Parts: sequence; structure tokens; C-alpha cells
Amino acid sequence: MAVNLTPNAIAAIIAGDVNSKPLVQILDIKLIAAAAQPKERYRLLLSDAVSSQHAMLATQLSDRVKSGQVRKGSVVQLIDYICTSSQNRKIIVVLNMETIIRECEIIGNPKSLVEFDSTAQKPLPNGSLDHSTRVSNNRFNAQNPGQSVQSFPPTVQPPYQPPPNYRNHGPMLKNDAPARIIPITALNPYQGRWAIKARVTAKGDMRRYNNARGDGKVFSFDLLDSDGGEIRVTCFNAVVDRFYDAIEIGKVYLISKGSLKPAQKNFNHLKNEWEIFLETTSTVELCPEEDGSIPRQQFSFRPISEIENAENNSILDVIGIVISVNPSVPIMRKNGMETQRRILNLKDGSGKSVELTLWGEFCNREGQKLKEMIDSGSFPVLAVKAGKVNDFNGKSIGSISSTQLFIDPDFPEARGLRNWFDRGGKNVASVSISREIMPGGSKNEIRKTVSQIKDEGLGRSDKPDWVTVKATISFIKTDTFCYTACPLMIGDRQCNKKVTKSGNMWTCDRCNQEFEECDYRYLLQAQIQDHTGLTWVTAFQESGEEILGCSAKELYLLKYEEQDDDKFGGIIRSRLFNQYLFRLKIKEEMYGDEQRVKITIVKADNVNHSSESRYMLDLISKFSR
Amino acid sequence: MDTSSPSVFVNAELLRMHVGKKVRAVVHVTQSDGEITTGKSTDEHQLIVKGLPHVSLMSYVEVIGIAESDQSIRAETWTNFGNTFDAQSYNQVCQLANGEFKGLFL
Repeated sequence: MAVNLTPNAIAAIIAGDVNSKPLVQILDIKLIAAAAQPKERYRLLLSDAVSSQHAMLATQLSDRVKSGQVRKGSVVQLIDYICTSSQNRKIIVVLNMETIIRECEIIGNPKSLVEFDSTAQKPLPNGSLDHSTRVSNNRFNAQNPGQSVQSFPPTVQPPYQPPPNYRNHGPMLKNDAPARIIPITALNPYQGRWAIKARVTAKGDMRRYNNARGDGKVFSFDLLDSDGGEIRVTCFNAVVDRFYDAIEIGKVYLISKGSLKPAQKNFNHLKNEWEIFLETTSTVELCPEEDGSIPRQQFSFRPISEIENAENNSILDVIGIVISVNPSVPIMRKNGMETQRRILNLKDGSGKSVELTLWGEFCNREGQKLKEMIDSGSFPVLAVKAGKVNDFNGKSIGSISSTQLFIDPDFPEARGLRNWFDRGGKNVASVSISREIMPGGSKNEIRKTVSQIKDEGLGRSDKPDWVTVKATISFIKTDTFCYTACPLMIGDRQCNKKVTKSGNMWTCDRCNQEFEECDYRYLLQAQIQDHTGLTWVTAFQESGEEILGCSAKELYLLKYEEQDDDKFGGIIRSRLFNQYLFRLKIKEEMYGDEQRVKITIVKADNVNHSSESRYMLDLISKFSR
Repeated sequence: MDTSSPSVFVNAELLRMHVGKKVRAVVHVTQSDGEITTGKSTDEHQLIVKGLPHVSLMSYVEVIGIAESDQSIRAETWTNFGNTFDAQSYNQVCQLANGEFKGLFL
């Protein structure tokens, strides 16, 4: 089907008419190599069937050439264009155009318009052109020489009026041409049309939220392509409904027409500075044929020994043999909601082991499965993708919402671990990086005197100081020496949270239960003294019992129920001035506005006089004369 | 605490330096027949203690009394420390008390 191009269109443009929105044909497209420019520029040869003229295509339209929307022979309607003069030459720049016919034979017999002298223009069939006057927007039947064509009025649609602020940016065209598939790593917001083909490696749950703008829902999924590029895709509200069911982990999709925005580093731990946001106009197409070039998952496992030096809150992947699985315990979260927690231990060939904390659903799903495997005597391999490093107690790893667990996966690293373990790795002792490094044993005990605690500023650094002090209990505070504790068991530990009495019953907020009898646990404030000075310390249940020689309950009943102050006082006095070797944990903490050094007795050991004598004799031998 | 007549910490070797003076020593009892008690000093030499009642063998007894000879002590007071005692540490104290830290003791 041939169409009539706008007669004299070229001449009109040259003359300065930039409003006619003519129909022209592209005779030629040439890529101009411009070293200084970030994007390639195309130069078109435009024709109105009679004359032809070069025009530069604005870079925002370059993609249309690249994608094939605009090619040699395309008949286009120029929407936004300018014509400038430069050194006696007229330069046409096309800022926006619409492809009317993508492929068309050359219409007419256009000849290059001689440009540099406006007076030398070829006379047009319809009379001479007065370039000083604006050519009116005439659409008339041109007699196109050399072409037998039906004459019919141009069937061009009414001019497309883009919103003014799109003057320098081409809006997206409604166009069926498929966008080119590019690697995920090439995606950026300035890309123009793009498409990616990638496999879903993770699919988040749909989450409802409520913020200042109202209610909404959101879900995200992660993509991995054949080059190893990864990116997260997020959908909001109506878009969630469109795609949530369609997206399945492990399947490959062709995705296009999403918007690119900076990735939210708080939640998105993929190595990509961008994140895709799908809109209602986005397309997601399932690729049914299996694409072997796209891996199923991307890991970068770290040996457990390296995790010891990892930064708190960093996200990493780890793989190890599960050597123990603890029972699931309910934990109260800060927002009042209860969740499950399960602690596992992983071991690998680096000689170190690490605690892995599973939260929520992981406890019941993978956690339960792993427990059954351990109970039956096997030691499965567990691969963790996106675990979070926690430095509360040594270094441990916790699960987060985007964590994925793989039990006995078929990876080379898993096979390597299995081999190592079965061939002796099982019996290799490993040091846990998740225990508080407490210098224990007489070999690496640090002995201090009471005055040294203050003089040396112990407890002021990031980590608590653990020291041993030989001292005597000189005072025990008796007005409050214990608290009422919850006796219920949570997993393998007693709850021990402080309980309150309501009526006849005791209530525990954590366990959410009532009971008649509570437990009593020591919370002692005492003074210890040696030849250098004295200091206040706190002692909890275990060390409290060591110091007082009886249970908190006995003392409590003695004081408050039997109200036998004499006997009570007698017991307390009898425990004063006993000498102990105290294991102390010293740490500076905030109390309201001020920093105070808190000293806790972790253990109160009786002095072994024989070894103590040897210690002192050794000290004496080190005195200088 | 009565400090009027201090006793010198001695083992067998140091005993001879304080003959006639009040001394104290720990003896690991090897023989006890009422009047004479024989035992090992903290530096592994034989010592005789006079005036002790019957003491069970292998117990450690601290004896305070007058050194009668370079091998015997007449007991004035004594304490039974039982069967466990760090003789080596005591021996070192004896040496220190008679050596560089003499001034602290007498």
C-alpha cells in the first residue's frame, strides 16, 4: 500500500516550518560515530518523495533505529523537529516522530535538495516556494512524479500532541517491536526499551502494609540471568495481583517495560545498584523451554573461619555440615508478636564452627527436617543463601526474610564437604566462633586486684573484660537480694523472666501463663574487698548460691514468710568475710545518662590454697630487688 | 596475736642455724611411738620431734618449739594439718623467710 508523503515537506522544513507534522520517508540511516557523545547518533535521509534532506535523529530516539522500529524505507510522521542554520547549512533535528509504516518501498524519486543556497532550490511541481513565508499547513494532492499511485487524501492520524514537558524526551511509543534482550548488568534507568530473560531465584511473600498514603501490598522476586547478573523485581498493589501467581521460583521469564530505580540496600542484598519496579504496562512472559544457560542459583560461599572477621549485619552465603539442631523455642519479639527460634551449629573444613539461628517458618520447615535428620544419625549439608551476621555473642548467622536454605544440595561445594566430613572431618575438633570468648582455665586467667579495675579502666572497650580477682565479701545488700522468676521451661531452658502477682496467681508475660508457685532467683548487690580496695558487684543465681551457700528461695522464705530476722541475719553474717577467687565480667554500660562500669560475678570459686600459694610464690620470684 | 616470741620458719637445713631458738617446722610423720615422733622435713630430711602425742602416720604436723639440736625440736604447740599439704610451697616460704625477706619475719 503506498501512501502520499507530504508534498514539499522537506522544503517547508528548510524554510522554517516546524509545525506541519509532515509525513516523510526515511531513505537512509547512518550511524554517526561521535566520540564525545555517550550515545550513538543516527543521521537520517528524509524524503518527501521529491526532495531529500539529511536530518539528525535526537539521541533519545536512537533506540528506535536499534530496535528496528525505524528503518530504511520507513514512512514516519515528524512530530517534533527543528531546523537550525549553521555555517550556511540547514540542520534538521528530529526530536520526535511516529512510525506510520515500518517497511515501504521508496516513494517517488527524491533528489537531494541543494542546501547551501536557498535560492537554488529546485522548483516544486506546485510552484516556487517562497522561503521567507511560512508554508501553510496544506495537505493537498501532490502529483508524485514517477510513481503511479492512487491519489487519496493522506490517511495520517491527527497530529500527536505530546505533553510539553516531553519536548526533549521521546515518550514511549506504542509499538509491537520486541525489545532486545540485554544482560541484567546492563540495565539502568536511562536505557530506553529493554528486555531481560532470567530465572526466578527467590520469591518473597506478599506483604500488606499501611503507611501515610494508605494501604497497599507488595511482593518482590529475584532474577538471575545467564551472565550471572542478579536484580530484584518489586510489584505494588494492582501489579501484585497481575504477577504474583504467575511468578514461580526456578522458571525463566522474559520481562520488559519495568522502571529502574535505585535498589533499597536495607532489604535488597543483591549485587545491583538498581531494582526493577513493574507497572501495569510491564510484560512478563514465561519461557517454557528450559534455558540451560541460566544457572538455578548464585552463591558465594565463605568459609566459616572468614565469618569471624565479617562485619556485623553483613549478608553472606555459607555452607556447612549440620552437627546439632536445638529445639524450637518461642521468642517474644519487640512488637509483641511471638515467633519461633531454633539454633543450629554448622561446621566446615576451616576448623571453625558457627551458630545458625533460624527464625519463624524456617524453624518448622527446614529446621524440623534437619532435626529429624540429625536424630536419625545423619549429618546433612546445609547451604544458606543470604544469612545475616550477628555479633552479639561472638559471631553467628541468623536467617532473614530473604534467606534461602538448601538441605543436601547438589553443588560441588556440598559434595566436597560431604567427602571431607565422611573421611575424617567429622572427628576434627572445631572451635566455635559463636561463643563469647571467655578466657577460662588457670592457664589464661588474667589476675587483677580490685584497684586495678579502676586504675586500668577495665570494661571501657567494646568487649567486656574477663578477669579473676581474689577478694573477700565484705557486705551483702539484704533488702532486695532476689526476684520472683518464671519457673516454666522454654525448650531446654527455664524462662526466668520476672513475674508479677495478680491475686493469688503469678503471671509471666513471656510465657503468657499463670501459676501458683514462682521461682526465686538471686540478684545480689555485694561489696568485695582485697588489700588494694573495695568495689560493688552484682551476682546472679549461680554465683549467688556459691556466695550464700543456700538457695534464694530458702532465704526468701526465711525472711518474708517465717520472718525470722535473727536466723536470716545469722546466715548472712556467716557468709561475710569469706575469700573467693571471683571470675568477673566487667563492662561499661549506660545507666540513664551516664556510663557506669558494671561488674558481675560470673563465678565465685573457693580459693585453692595450694595453687594460690604457688601462684603467689611465683609472683614473689618476679619482684625486682 | 601474741608476737612476743616469734618462731622461725625452718626446714632441716635451716634448723641448724637456729639451734636453741624457737622454731616452727612442718613434719610429715613416718613414725610415732608416743614420746618420739619421726618424720620427714619439707626439704626431705629426717627430723625428730619430742613431746608429741600419738599422731597418725603420713599426716602433716606443724610443730612450734625449741630447736634442741640440728635434727630435733622439743614441741610446745602443734597443729595437725591432715594428710594433704603442699610441702614444697612451705619449703619455699622457709627459704624466703630466712633469705631476702628475713626482715618481714623477725
